[in-house]
Amino acid sequence: MQKFLLFLLLLLPVVTYCQVTVSGKVTSTSDPNGLPGVNVTIKGTTQGTISDVNGRYSLNAPGDGVLVFSFVGYKTQEIPVAGKTLLDVLLEENAQELSEVIVTGYSSVAKRDITGSVSSIKADKFKEISINGVDQALQGQVAGVQVTQSSGTPGGGIAVRIRGSTSISAGNRPLFIVDGIPVETGSLSARGFGGQNDNALAMINPNDIESMQVLKDASAKAMYGSRASNGVVVITTKRGSKNANTKISFDVQRGVIDPVNTLKLLSSTQLLELQREAVTNAGENPDALGLIRGITDGISTDWQDEVLRRGIMQQYQVTASGGDNNTTFYLSANYRNEEGVQLNNSFERMGVTMNFDQQLARKLNISTNLTISRTLNKRVKGDNFLDGVYSGAIKSLPYYVPYDENGRLIGPGSGMYAGFPNFNPVAQALLPRFETLSLKMIGGINATYEIKPNLRLKGQVSVDYNDITEDQYESSQTAIGGFLPSVGGRGYGVYIAQAATNMVSNLTLSYNKKISDQHSFSGFVGTEVFRTFYNGADVQGRLFPSDDFTYIASAGIVDAGSSTKTPPGGLFSVFAEGRYDYDDRFLVTVGMRTDGSSNFGPNHRFGYFPAISAGWRISNENFFKSGIVTDLKLRGSFGYTGNERIAAFQFLGTWSAATYNGNSGVSPNNTANPNIKWESTREINVGTDLELWQGRLQTSLDVYHNKTSDLLLTRPYPFTTGFGGIPDNIGDMENKGIEWSATSVNIDKVVRWSTTVNLSKNLNKVLYLADSIPLYRGYTAEGVDATNTVRVGHPLGTFWGLNFLGVNPATGNAIYEDVNGDGLINNSDAMVIGNAQPKLIGGITNTISYKRFDASVFFQFSYGNKVLNFTKATLVNMGADIENNQSEEALRRWRKPGDITDVPKYELNSTLNNLHSNRLLEDGSYLRLKNLSIGYSLPPKLIQKWMIDQARVYMTATNLWTFTKYTGSDPEVSTLDGSTTAQGIDFFTLPQVRTISVGLNITLR
Amino acid sequence: MNCLQTKLNSVSRKGRWMVLLAICLAMSCNNILEPEPIDLLTDDIVLNEPSDVPLVEIGLYSAFRPIIPSLVIAGDFTADMLVHNGTFSQYRELGTKQITSANASVTALWGSVYNTIYIANFIIERLPEVAGVRSTDRDRVMATAHFLRGYAYFVALQTYGGVPKVTSTDIEVNRNMPRASAAEILELIQDDFNFANGKLPATPVNAGFAGAQALNAAWAKLFLYQESWPQAEAFATAVIASDIYQLEASYATIVNTDFTREAIFEVGYTLADDPGTNATIGLNNLFVGRREIIPSNQTVLALASVESGDRFASISFNPNNLVGNDNGWSVAKYGTADANNNNVTVFRLAEMYLIRAEARARQGNVTGTNSAAADINVLRTRANAPTVGSVNQTQMLTLIENERVYELAYEGSRWYDLVRTNRAATVMPAFNSNWRSAYERWPIPQREIQSNPALVGNQNPGY
Repeated sequence: MQKFLLFLLLLLPVVTYCQVTVSGKVTSTSDPNGLPGVNVTIKGTTQGTISDVNGRYSLNAPGDGVLVFSFVGYKTQEIPVAGKTLLDVLLEENAQELSEVIVTGYSSVAKRDITGSVSSIKADKFKEISINGVDQALQGQVAGVQVTQSSGTPGGGIAVRIRGSTSISAGNRPLFIVDGIPVETGSLSARGFGGQNDNALAMINPNDIESMQVLKDASAKAMYGSRASNGVVVITTKRGSKNANTKISFDVQRGVIDPVNTLKLLSSTQLLELQREAVTNAGENPDALGLIRGITDGISTDWQDEVLRRGIMQQYQVTASGGDNNTTFYLSANYRNEEGVQLNNSFERMGVTMNFDQQLARKLNISTNLTISRTLNKRVKGDNFLDGVYSGAIKSLPYYVPYDENGRLIGPGSGMYAGFPNFNPVAQALLPRFETLSLKMIGGINATYEIKPNLRLKGQVSVDYNDITEDQYESSQTAIGGFLPSVGGRGYGVYIAQAATNMVSNLTLSYNKKISDQHSFSGFVGTEVFRTFYNGADVQGRLFPSDDFTYIASAGIVDAGSSTKTPPGGLFSVFAEGRYDYDDRFLVTVGMRTDGSSNFGPNHRFGYFPAISAGWRISNENFFKSGIVTDLKLRGSFGYTGNERIAAFQFLGTWSAATYNGNSGVSPNNTANPNIKWESTREINVGTDLELWQGRLQTSLDVYHNKTSDLLLTRPYPFTTGFGGIPDNIGDMENKGIEWSATSVNIDKVVRWSTTVNLSKNLNKVLYLADSIPLYRGYTAEGVDATNTVRVGHPLGTFWGLNFLGVNPATGNAIYEDVNGDGLINNSDAMVIGNAQPKLIGGITNTISYKRFDASVFFQFSYGNKVLNFTKATLVNMGADIENNQSEEALRRWRKPGDITDVPKYELNSTLNNLHSNRLLEDGSYLRLKNLSIGYSLPPKLIQKWMIDQARVYMTATNLWTFTKYTGSDPEVSTLDGSTTAQGIDFFTLPQVRTISVGLNITLR
Repeated sequence: MNCLQTKLNSVSRKGRWMVLLAICLAMSCNNILEPEPIDLLTDDIVLNEPSDVPLVEIGLYSAFRPIIPSLVIAGDFTADMLVHNGTFSQYRELGTKQITSANASVTALWGSVYNTIYIANFIIERLPEVAGVRSTDRDRVMATAHFLRGYAYFVALQTYGGVPKVTSTDIEVNRNMPRASAAEILELIQDDFNFANGKLPATPVNAGFAGAQALNAAWAKLFLYQESWPQAEAFATAVIASDIYQLEASYATIVNTDFTREAIFEVGYTLADDPGTNATIGLNNLFVGRREIIPSNQTVLALASVESGDRFASISFNPNNLVGNDNGWSVAKYGTADANNNNVTVFRLAEMYLIRAEARARQGNVTGTNSAAADINVLRTRANAPTVGSVNQTQMLTLIENERVYELAYEGSRWYDLVRTNRAATVMPAFNSNWRSAYERWPIPQREIQSNPALVGNQNPGY
C-alpha cells in the first residue's frame, strides 16, 4: 500500500508539470469589486469553473492552455495561461448584448440566431419614464409598434398596434404573455365613462419587468397560432441569479403632473356678443332669449381652470434578489399613486412580486412566479358624456359659477344651475364616487425535468385572475343622480363585481443535438390547454333618503340588477418547432400550431398555423472577409397566423330571455352561421441584421407584407330577415411596411454616448368586403352617415365627411362640394376626407454618461396622421345652439358681406354651416420630447460607510415639449379608446400630461 | 445514495404523471371546445313543447313593444307637436325637418316592425307542428301572431308606404325582398286581422295583451285610414258598445296612470324592463330628463286653450328650464320607471269616439244624437271643456282635427292624421319652412337599401 502511494508521489511532478493551479479575480468596470458567475473554461475542453461571489476563481489548467472567460453581457476573453498561476481579468462589457437570449414563445434562442422578426426591450429603456403600465413602455421604442395613449387619464386606455391593424371586429390588441400566461388586456370595467376606458395592463408594475420581446412576423409568432395575428408581446419578470450576493434596493420617485396644454375659449363678454349676433342673424331678438349685455356676462368663469389641477405622482419600490447554488429569489413590493389633472381623479397601485427558482434534484428544476397587485382607480366621466368633467368644463357657458355665495356647490334645483346640457363640471368631478377596485394575481409554476442532457420535459400551470369591483354613487346634486329623474331622481348607486380568469397548462418536450461540428438541430413539441372564465353581477338603485346614504342597501328602489356567467371558453392546441443550423451559416426554423377553439362550430373548430423561416449569415462565408462587419445576416419568413377573438356561440342560432309586461319569455338573439371561422393572416417578412465594429453599430431592416383574409364582421342583413346582421367572414385586408432600427455606441471613452433609433411605416388597406358594403363607424355626424368609414381601397381609420370649400364672402355661409351635382348638400355628397394612419412613426433615444453623470433624451414622433378635431363641431358650432362655450377660433367668423375668412357665419339653430366636413380635420403630426432624464451616482467613498453599494439621484420629465400644428389641446388622443375603425378623434378628450419628477435609487450591499 | 435514488424515482414518476396529465387534458378536449350555452336556447329547441308556447308569445310582445314609443316620435315629432332642444342628430333632423335616410329613429322603427314580423312568422310556421298544445292556447297565440304582424304592417304601411312583404323566416329569401305595393300590404293586413277574428280572448289578463276589442279597434283605425266610413263607425261602435271600457272621470288619470279603465291595448313596462324605449333612450329621458325634445310653442298654446280644457295636463312647466331656446315645457305623459305611467298606449276608448265622430261627420251625421258632435262632446265633457254647438260638416272636420291634438297629444297620431287627411301640405310649411312633401313618408332606411339588393332604386321619392 505504501509503495503504491510512493509510486503516485513519484508520478506527481510529471502531472504538475502539465497542470498548474490558476487563480485570480474577474472584475469589470461596473463591478470593480469582483464579477460573480463568470464562466472560466479551458479552451478545447469541457472543464471549467465559475467565479465566486467575490469574482474569485481557481482551477487546474495545462500550463500551455488557454482560459476562456465568458459571461452574459460581456466580451469573451481568451487568455493563455503561459505557466502563470495568478491571472486577474478585467472583462469588457459588450457594447450590445450579443449573447442576449430571446424568449420566443415556448423556447429561447440566442438573439444572433433568430430568423424571424423580434424586437427586444430591456427594463433600463423605460425604468425612469413615468408610466402606469407595461404597454406604455413600448411607446416609441420598437420599430413597427404604434402606441397611442387615448388621453391623459391615469391608468387609462392605450392602443398598441404591431404592424398595423389586422381586424375590424375581432380586436387588434396584441397578445400579451406574462411569464407564460396570456393576460387580460383592454378594459375590464363594465360601465362606460364616455369613451375613456380603464386598462388591465396598468395593473402590472413595469418595474418588475426584466424584458419585453415583441414578436412581429409569422415565424416568431408561430407558437401562438390562432391568437397571433396582432403580434405578441412576451414579458418576463425579474428573477434572482445564482450564487449572487443578496441585493436590496430602494427606489423613490415623486413628481408633479400638469396637462400639456389647455384650450383657448371665449370669455363671457366675447361669447355673449357672438350669441347675440347668432340670434340676430336668425331674425330673432337676443334680449327675448335672455342674452342681455351687462347681465348675462356679469360673470366669466374659466371652467378649465376650475376642474384642472396639478397632480402629484409618487412611487416607491423595495426589491431583494439573490440566490445560492440551488435557489434564487426575487422579491419586490411597490406602491404608486398618480393623481390625475382632473379633480378627484387618481390611480393607485400596490403590489408584490415573488419569484423563486429551486433545483429540486439534479435533474429537476422548478420555478414559480407570483404577482399580486391591487389598484384603486378613482375615475371621472369625460369625452362623449355631457356630464363629464373635462368635457363639461370646455363646453360649459362661462355665465355660470361652480359655487354659490356660501361656497356650496351649485346643483339641480338651484336657480344658478346651468342644467342640461352643461350641469356643473366641478360638482361632476367632486361629488360622484366612481371607484374601481381591482385585484390581479398572476401566478405560475413550471417544472423542467432533464430526461437526458439534451432532452427536457417541461410542464407549466399558470393563472391570471382579475377581480374587479366598481363602487359608484352619483349624488342628488349631480346630473345623473339629481337632474335626470328618469335615471337617478335622488341619488343613483351602482355596484358591479366581476371576475375574469385565464388559465393555461402546457407540456413541452424539447430536444437538441449537435450532429457534427457543422450540423446542429433543436426542437420541441408541445400541447396546451387554455381556458377563460368570466362571471359578473351588478345592481343599481335609486331614490336614496339623502346623500348621506350612498350604498344600495339604502336605496328606495333597486330597479336593475343581473348576474351573468360566460360559458368557459377554451383552446386546445398542439404545436411543434424545429431549428436547424448548418455551420453557423444557414439557419432554418419550421413551426406549426394547431388550435381548436370553442368559439367556432364543428365545421371549423380547428385551425392550422404553419410558418417557416430561414437565415443566411453571410459574414461567416469564406468569401466574405471584412474587419468592419462582424455580423451580417439575411433572413426571411413565411407563415400564417390567426385571430379568434369573437363572442362565443356565434355559430349557433340562439334565443335569449326577454321580458314583457311583468312576464318572461324568449326572443331571438343570434342567427346561426355554422361556417364562421378564424381570421387568417398570411405573413411574409424579409429582413437583414448588420453589426459593425464588434457591435458598436447594430442595425436591422425589415420589410413585410401581410394579408388578412376571412375578416370576422357582422355582415349587415336587411331587417326584413328579422336580424340586423350575421357574424361572418366577409373581408380581406393588407398591411405592408418597412421598419428600421439601429443602435450605435458613438463614443465609448470617459464619455459614453449611444443612440438608439427606430422608424417604421405601415400601409393598411381594406382589400375586399362582401357585398361591397361600406361600413360607417365612429360618431354620428351632422348631415353625413358617420365620422368614419370602412371601405375597399382605404385603410381602417378613414374619415368621412363633406368637402368644405370655404366661406362665401357675400353670405357668410359655408360652401361644400356638391359631389353629385344635384343642387343639394346631403350625405350623398360625403367623401373620404383623410385617415388617422400615420405615414411614419418612430423614436430616438440618446444616452450619455460621463463619470458619475448620466443623461437620456428620448424623442418620439408621428408624422402624416390626421386628427379629427370633433370638439370643434361643438366649440365652433356656427350657432347650431347657444348652450356651449366657443373657442377663440370663432372670433374669426364671418360678420358682414365682404369678410374673407374660413369660419362661416353664426346663425342660431342653423346646422347648414356646421355640417360634418373636413373643416374639422387637421394634421396630427407631432414630435414630442417624451422623456428627459438626468442622473448622478454618488461616489462610493461617500456612501460605503452606510453599507450602500450604489446610490443614484435623478430628475426625469415626461412629455416635456411637443411640436405640432394641431390646434386642439393635444394630437395624441383618441376618444373612442381602443376602436379599430375610428382612431384619432379628439372629442372633448383630456390632453396628455407632463410629469416632472425626482427620484432616488439605493442599492445596499 | 439510497436517498437520491428514491428522489430520482419519485421524479421520473412525476414525469410519468405529467404525461398522464397531458393525455387527460387531451381527452377532456371535448369539454373545453364544446361548452354548454348558458342562459341561451338554440333555434331547434325553442318551440318544441307546449310549455314553450307562452315563452315565445312573450318574446313576440317584447319585439312588438318598441314599435309603439317609436310611433310617438314618428307621429308627433315629424309633425308640429314637438321641437328639438338637445344634441342628438337623429332628433335634430326631425326637429329641423331635414330628415335623412340615415336617421336612427327611422331605422329603429323599421327594425322593430320586422323583428315583430320575424317572431310572428316563426310562430305561424312552427306552432302548428308542436304536439300537445291546448287548442285554446294554440288559437290565441296563432291569432296574436297574426294580429300583431298585421298591426306591424299597418304601422309600416302608414310610415313608409309599400314595404317588403315578409311572410316566412327564410333568411335567404327575406334578404333579397322587393317592396310590395300598398294594396298587397293592405290585403295582408286584412287577412291577418280576419285570421285573428274570434280567436283572441274577450278580456285578456290586462290591457298589456291584445284581446278581441283591440282587434276591433285596429279594424276601426284601418277603415278610418281607408276612408271606409261606415265600417270605421261600426267597429268603433263595437268597441264602445262592448261596455268593457269606460272613460276615466279625470283626464289627468290618463296622463298619470297605466292600465286605466279606458285602456284597450297598451304596451307594458314594469320597473324591471322600463324602456329602452325608442331603441336606446327612454321617452321619459327624452322628454323630461335630457329635454332632448320639448313641446312646440303652438302646441302649448293649443293645449292651453279653453277647448282643450283639462287636457292641458299632457304637458307641464318648470321655470328653471326656461333658458335660451327652451320654452320650459315638458311632455308629461311618460313617467320614470318607478312611476305608474310608463306604458305607451296603442288604443284607448277616447280614440274610438274620435274615429266614430270623424266617420259620422264624413257621412254627414254632424250634430244631434248619435252624431259626430255627440261623440266629441263626450270627450269635451270629460275634459271640462265647452261642448260643441251648431257647426257644419267642414267646421266639424276641422274641430275633430284639433280635438285629436288635444285628446291624443303625444300618443303618436298627429303626423298620420295630417297625411291621411291631406292637410300636411297646408299645415306643415307654416310650422317649418324646411317642410317638403317628401316628409309625408319616412324614407326607407339607408342600411336596408344597402343590404337588400331588391330595394336598390326604390327609395321613397324626395330622399
